[in-house]
Amino acid sequence: MTGAAGSRGEAKDTGSGALRRTVPPARRFLARRKGVLARLALWSVAEAGQAFVVGYGVAHAVDQGFLASDTRRGLGWLAVAAVAVLLGAPVMRGVFAQLAGLTEPLRDGLVRRAVDRSLAGALARPGGTDRAAVSRLTNQVEIARDSFAGLVLTLRSFVFTAAGALLGLLSLHPALLVVVLPPLLAGLALFLATLRPMAAAQRRALAADEALGDHAARARAALRDLTACGTGPEVERRAAELVAGAAASARVLARWAAVRTAALGVAGHLPVLTLLVTVPWLRERGVTAGALLGAFTYLVQSLLPAVHTLMTALGAAGSRLLVVVDRIAGPAPQEPAHPSGRPPAADAVSPGDHGASVSPEDRGAPAAAGAGAAGTPRSARAARPGVPTARGPAAAVEFRAVTLSYGVRAEPVLDSLDLCVAPGEHIAVVGPSGIGKSTLTRLVAGMLAPSSGEVRVAGRPVTGGTADELGALRVLVPQEAYVFAGTVGENLTYLRPDACRADVDATVRSLALRPLVERLGGLDAPLRPDELSQGERQLVALARAHLSAAPLLLLDEATCHLDPASEARAEEALARRPGTLLVVAHRLSSAVRADRVLVLDGVRTVCGTHREVLARSPLYRDLTGHWNGGSHR
Amino acid sequence: MFGRRLRTVGRTEGSRLVRTTKTRPRQAHAVPDGADGTGPGPAPALLVLLCSVAAAAAAVAQPLVLGHTLDLLLRGGDAGHWPALSAALLVGEVLLDSLTALFTGRCNAGWTASIRSRAFTGLLRGVPDRARPYSPGDVGTRLTLNAADAGGAPAARAALAASLVTPAGALVALAFVDLWVAACVLAGLPALALVLRAFARDTGASVAAYQRVQAQIASRLLEAMEGAATIAAAGTVARERRRVLAPLAELGALGGRMWALHGRALARSGVLVPLLVLAATAVGGVRLASGSLSVGGLLAACRYAQLAAGVGGAATLLGAVVRGRGARERTLALERLPALAYGPCGLPPDGPGDLELRGVRVLRDGREVLRVDGVRVPGGRTTAVVGRSGAGKSVLAAVAGRLIDPDEGHVLLDGVRLDRLTREALRTEVAFAFERPVLGEGTVAEAVAAGPRRVSPEQVRQAVRAAGAEAFVRRLPRGHDTPLPSAPLSGGEHQRLGLARAFAHAGRLLVMDDATSSLDTATEYEVDRALRRSVRPGTRLVVAHRPSVAARADQVVWLEDGRVRAVGPHRELWQEARYRALFGAGGGGGHGGPVPHREHGPLPEGARP
Repeated sequence: MTGAAGSRGEAKDTGSGALRRTVPPARRFLARRKGVLARLALWSVAEAGQAFVVGYGVAHAVDQGFLASDTRRGLGWLAVAAVAVLLGAPVMRGVFAQLAGLTEPLRDGLVRRAVDRSLAGALARPGGTDRAAVSRLTNQVEIARDSFAGLVLTLRSFVFTAAGALLGLLSLHPALLVVVLPPLLAGLALFLATLRPMAAAQRRALAADEALGDHAARARAALRDLTACGTGPEVERRAAELVAGAAASARVLARWAAVRTAALGVAGHLPVLTLLVTVPWLRERGVTAGALLGAFTYLVQSLLPAVHTLMTALGAAGSRLLVVVDRIAGPAPQEPAHPSGRPPAADAVSPGDHGASVSPEDRGAPAAAGAGAAGTPRSARAARPGVPTARGPAAAVEFRAVTLSYGVRAEPVLDSLDLCVAPGEHIAVVGPSGIGKSTLTRLVAGMLAPSSGEVRVAGRPVTGGTADELGALRVLVPQEAYVFAGTVGENLTYLRPDACRADVDATVRSLALRPLVERLGGLDAPLRPDELSQGERQLVALARAHLSAAPLLLLDEATCHLDPASEARAEEALARRPGTLLVVAHRLSSAVRADRVLVLDGVRTVCGTHREVLARSPLYRDLTGHWNGGSHR
Repeated sequence: MFGRRLRTVGRTEGSRLVRTTKTRPRQAHAVPDGADGTGPGPAPALLVLLCSVAAAAAAVAQPLVLGHTLDLLLRGGDAGHWPALSAALLVGEVLLDSLTALFTGRCNAGWTASIRSRAFTGLLRGVPDRARPYSPGDVGTRLTLNAADAGGAPAARAALAASLVTPAGALVALAFVDLWVAACVLAGLPALALVLRAFARDTGASVAAYQRVQAQIASRLLEAMEGAATIAAAGTVARERRRVLAPLAELGALGGRMWALHGRALARSGVLVPLLVLAATAVGGVRLASGSLSVGGLLAACRYAQLAAGVGGAATLLGAVVRGRGARERTLALERLPALAYGPCGLPPDGPGDLELRGVRVLRDGREVLRVDGVRVPGGRTTAVVGRSGAGKSVLAAVAGRLIDPDEGHVLLDGVRLDRLTREALRTEVAFAFERPVLGEGTVAEAVAAGPRRVSPEQVRQAVRAAGAEAFVRRLPRGHDTPLPSAPLSGGEHQRLGLARAFAHAGRLLVMDDATSSLDTATEYEVDRALRRSVRPGTRLVVAHRPSVAARADQVVWLEDGRVRAVGPHRELWQEARYRALFGAGGGGGHGGPVPHREHGPLPEGARP
């Protein structure tokens, strides 16, 4: 699979790719929030000012008060500091209010991306479950949000504290900067250099964790089977490997964390050391003792703690944020959401000579003239209102030499099939499981492109049609009925949201849904999907199809969870509805109810009324024979 | 937690890693992969403690040493060894911090790996049925996030202990400098604790509301993903996206509130610590004025008061420890799943495959779901199990092949109790086919070959053929080598691969739990014929819904409400209306489904209602 290979290649990525990919959108994200950033900066300045007043008050209280034996004055300055401290509370609240203005939009954006990605993945490959979807949506988004908030807070406080400390140093004596700046910058540069390898290590650790989680989830899902098969030890060995792999990548991460911590230690502690070492040199430059004491205080009391917070937050949170954002918003191994592409490397097969052909021309022929592989309509058919005569309007469904295979070497599922279904007709598709009945419906629905040949619905080619065009032409009801947490009414009008109450009521009546709707609390009651049995879900999906305005209904074993009586009722209701009905039969009764039966058996395709097909298709005879008298030996 | 594992101190890191544990008393027998390791022991956590305490000590000593050095240097005289000591302290702290980070990471990795191994082992050796409360996604979370949180607890405990060193040391130093100032700081600490507790409580409540809305979005997304086929066909992706994301606005509002609460709580604690330092300074100033404190003493007191108030930093670590404990509970739940322990016995060679259930009772949540006594399934024959849904058919199948142990009574295969058999003996002789087999994510061939015995490619092909799966497997993009996740398989096709897997490993007993329900009757008949001809002959226990299956069986066990209602041939039981009603054929006039009294041939038109 190209997708898998792509993601594997990505895992080896050194992390620079993630950085490169993440920076431009991050810049755009911040550029759109200049107002928030400005307000945050203002609050931060206020915070710095407040901190300054507190420090100033304490210093004066000690210097001019207590040390000068003026206790009252000391206490006075302390009171000033206390007022400044109390003012800190609203400032802090202001900072957090602005913080929400940054983190919440980030979270919204990530949630949208995660949802889009999961939906696109699910649509490209229905049935395949993406277990990481929920993790991306909840855990990973929250990790990103928390990391981002921590990052903003610490970066902001570091920038303002460092700037304040450096300004203070500058005001004391410019020579101090010459001593302090080089080690500080060296430490920060070293720290920045660790970010990339750190992100790569983080990415590998996350990938290892995800593989482990995936294995665990799979093992749980298959627990009964692997117990029954006795393959538990095998799965356990694989688990041990994955656990060891995750631990190894965590240890690599620990090494990088040590390097990063050392880098920040250099940035915080080395300036203090250089200051100490250069005291004689600075004294020669005329730096006073008081200035040195002040410089020392700035370094130890503001710069060092700021670097410490930066260390704890930035390293871990920063690289985690980068990795998570890249996982959610970065390139996904994506397939196109709409299956307009052809199956990979499908053979172009020239129209074969063994395909069954049922064209509108045949429809007028007498029943006995069904020579070859042609189907004939039952005479009862013509009496049905709305069914056009022979050469009327475009056929409801038309296959022209349609061939489909899933791979170059694979046997074709459909081989040069010709088929024509008249508007208003009720067709049942029959064949052994796995013969390609679902594939046929997907072709008609335009969800799958044939390897060669053409599929038309109501005279229009469906391959490559837009979702809206296709939606107006046909409804496909798959075996897995979709019911969602909305009201009952919303579920029923899913395919026709503007349906009026009377239409909904008519549908509910004709499918005998009243008891179910009442049990659920009426049309406006909220529906919880897990409260419905599989059969009830299918009834809802069928009602939805009944209500839709599309002229063609395709039921792909959509009644398999219904009991025979409910199935008959539902199918009859759908057949009474104006329009064409194509049913992949789950039971023989479905075939008997249809106007015509299409028998797929891989090599030959036979189409005709129940009786005709019985006469012509040995497979159908076989199927009906067993379906019919299966309980007798 | 440390004492229990003292004996592993000194083991090399590598050997600890892969080993799983054997702490659970239920494991009476050695497991094949030699699980005799334990957790990483106390050594890594002790290293973390050592390094972080040393780093904290360096931090506490710094104000004193650096101040003195500066004094000496400013006086211009010879500072002696003091500058070197300062440098050692500064560089030492950097190195110790770095080592702490390294050892913390390694300690977490070791503990996490050990916890994960134990949880995995517990899960994989557990009774599958008892793992029902834990969904696959939940197990994934427990083994990743929760295990990591739990594995972080030992290091967090060590760091917590170390983090108390600085404030405690500062407080002691403060007590030396001046008792009154120390008392003032001490008095303020409970208030700090109260503020921190309120902080945890408030955020806890707002986090719960936030997570609820988050879960709502997640469940809507999962619904939509399950309905992907419908959504793709209807072209309603955009609408689904809106529906899934609808609660996002509320999430944003709740998130904003969370930050506001957070800010308020932080503001409160952000006010308290400086006020505490100010109070200490005021007391120190008053003491200075009264002559009980020196000038240097006041400066030191101010600094130490600040350090002592830093005790709030322990709150985060405390949080990690608490979270780790909660997470450990969650991994322990898997670790302590009731195990399906295997015995030491083998089966008598060439036994016929006689199955006997003696006094078997199975309870689920305290309710009896199966009671079968004295039922024999004769060797080499086919026995069908029928009954309404919920009658206990699947439970009977599970007990018969030991996917669960009965709460009372025994199941014997050729006279040997199933729970006395080794895993090898049991699983090679008893094969299962399920209604919804889980085939894993390997290739088709790998899925069919999965079992206790190695199976040749030819045997795989034969089994696939016997299960009637050959035709569709040939149509897959890469035939037998197609990976299952990319194989477009229907439910019935899945089921047939599950059958093929069971056929490839058929031993003396084959249990088929509704394993042909998605097959059309013709295919089912073919499979049945193949089962008689090309699969190893043996006893078959078949849970069935179709009368045709029951009719082909040698005897039928009819279950009702967890009890055996009758045992006998289908033909005899068919006389009872209640039995016929099981198959939806009560009076025989219903349409659809197999209608037993009608003969072969086309259905008359009149059959259509």
